[in-house]
Amino acid sequence: MHLLRSPWKIGLGLVLPLIIYMVFGIIPIFISFYYSFMAWDGFSAMSFVGIENYITAFQDSTFWLSLRNNILVVLASVLGQIPIGLGLALLLNRKIKGAKFFRTIGFLPVVISTVVISITWRMIYNSEQGLLNNLLETTGLGFLQQNWLGDPDSAIFAILITIVWQFVGLYFIIFLSALQTIPKELLEAAELDGAGEWHKIVHITLPSIRNVILVAIVLCISGSLKTFDLIYVMTQGGPAHSTEVMATYMYSETFEGLSYGYGSALSILILVFSLILILITTKVMGVKRT
Amino acid sequence: MMGNKAEPREAATVDRDAVAKTKRKLRRTLVYIILILFTIVNAYPIFWMIMNAFKTSQDFSLNPFGLPANWVFENFQDAWVTANIGTFFFNSVLVGAVAVLISIFSGALAAYFLSRFEFRGKKFIYGFLVIGLLIPIHATLVPMYILMQNLGILNTYWALIFPYVAFNLPITVFLLTSFMSSFPKEMEESAIMDGCGVFRIFWSIILPMTRPAIATAVIINFINNWNEFAFALVLISDEALQTLPLGLANFAGAYTTNYPAQMAGLTLVLVPTIIFYLLMEKQIVEGMTQGAVKG
Repeated sequence: MHLLRSPWKIGLGLVLPLIIYMVFGIIPIFISFYYSFMAWDGFSAMSFVGIENYITAFQDSTFWLSLRNNILVVLASVLGQIPIGLGLALLLNRKIKGAKFFRTIGFLPVVISTVVISITWRMIYNSEQGLLNNLLETTGLGFLQQNWLGDPDSAIFAILITIVWQFVGLYFIIFLSALQTIPKELLEAAELDGAGEWHKIVHITLPSIRNVILVAIVLCISGSLKTFDLIYVMTQGGPAHSTEVMATYMYSETFEGLSYGYGSALSILILVFSLILILITTKVMGVKRT
Repeated sequence: MMGNKAEPREAATVDRDAVAKTKRKLRRTLVYIILILFTIVNAYPIFWMIMNAFKTSQDFSLNPFGLPANWVFENFQDAWVTANIGTFFFNSVLVGAVAVLISIFSGALAAYFLSRFEFRGKKFIYGFLVIGLLIPIHATLVPMYILMQNLGILNTYWALIFPYVAFNLPITVFLLTSFMSSFPKEMEESAIMDGCGVFRIFWSIILPMTRPAIATAVIINFINNWNEFAFALVLISDEALQTLPLGLANFAGAYTTNYPAQMAGLTLVLVPTIIFYLLMEKQIVEGMTQGAVKG
């Protein structure tokens, strides 16, 4: 690396990315912060209302419901995607016929657009023509049939299953590539010492990929906090707000309810909640990123 | 004497070997069963959708699970014409490609200075750019809408291109900086001796060497743009400018009762994605997972 004596050249190189990133990535957050202290319908003059929007949010039961659903999405992702992905990776991490095929199909949902997945699963859950109810009927389990997305009690769980389904493959492949970096000699030595399969997994395999697991958990949390498209397309947060997450609630309050000030306050709360959660998990688990 | 003693022991070993062998076989079968189940759960919903796109409504309600009795193509015609998929496709490709070009070019330039030079504030700028990875996109939807309105570019391609560049820059800078940092520093020395300028070195030495990382970054950028929905929903209302995810969501919303037509629309979008995935699987998978594995 060299010291460049003409700072203007560095400036010239960095100016384009920094401007785009600031104007369209960072500054909007500050604008949002500013509007969050206003009452505004998007057309008439704004008026300053102090922290009223935040107080409204904290007294708004739908806001708490959407926060709860966000937490459910995070929990389902971390407790669903990671263990299933890890389990499958451990199973496939051996000489197996068709290993490549299992990997390819395993990762497939990850590359499909969320909108396509959402519409497909909306059809799967449909009460009359849906795949799920049809399957239950055919296998004699007709009594289990539900209006999966239409019933406030089942809708959020139906959505959680779709979310887990969509991203299991990502963690499956992440863990599989990590497992393949473990030196063979390590496992062979343990085998000579008479270690069984289970013993090897607990004492050698898992500790060797500990850091990858931790990074995957952080990735999984920050990814699941971004949930918007899937719920917007599948249920629009309904029925009766039962599947609302903070982002869908923010969207409908702002663009359908025309409360730009309140929507901005919700945006800031989303940001704060996400950053706090990510910060805590990174600190608690001591993840070191290089 | 010796032989007598050895015989029973040998028999026991054979026995134990046989048990272990059956055990291993059983375990192997179990592994296969689980993996096949997983594959079915993963692939069948997609298969179900594609197959039903080839059925008449009647065939679909009589036989929802398997292959079509007669393969019909009307649904595709319907979907293509009514859903305007051609236009959406064009918009998605255009917006995606322009955003990728800007993001890769400016990201590579930034990565070059951040990886090959020492200057004050370098660490800060790098951290500032990369922290964007953690910003939840939809927290910026409201201000982005207002910003685009004030800039007068709401409802234009630019309204999507700029945010797409901004939100892909963090991952682009992260990938390219770490790749460029790995080059030995003698790399440019002879070029400097020859009197090459800083930008010349970037263009003719560093950029060509970074090609593998650029390929990965292009793929991630493009997939992100191709699948993006929230910004398109908020920033584009003109139907002629809508991208595929948005157009598709509207189309499916309008066609809720006609499942085969909906499925045909989805299939038209899905098939190119799957082909692209099968062709570029290695790069796509590497791009989307290497952040975690190397992290």
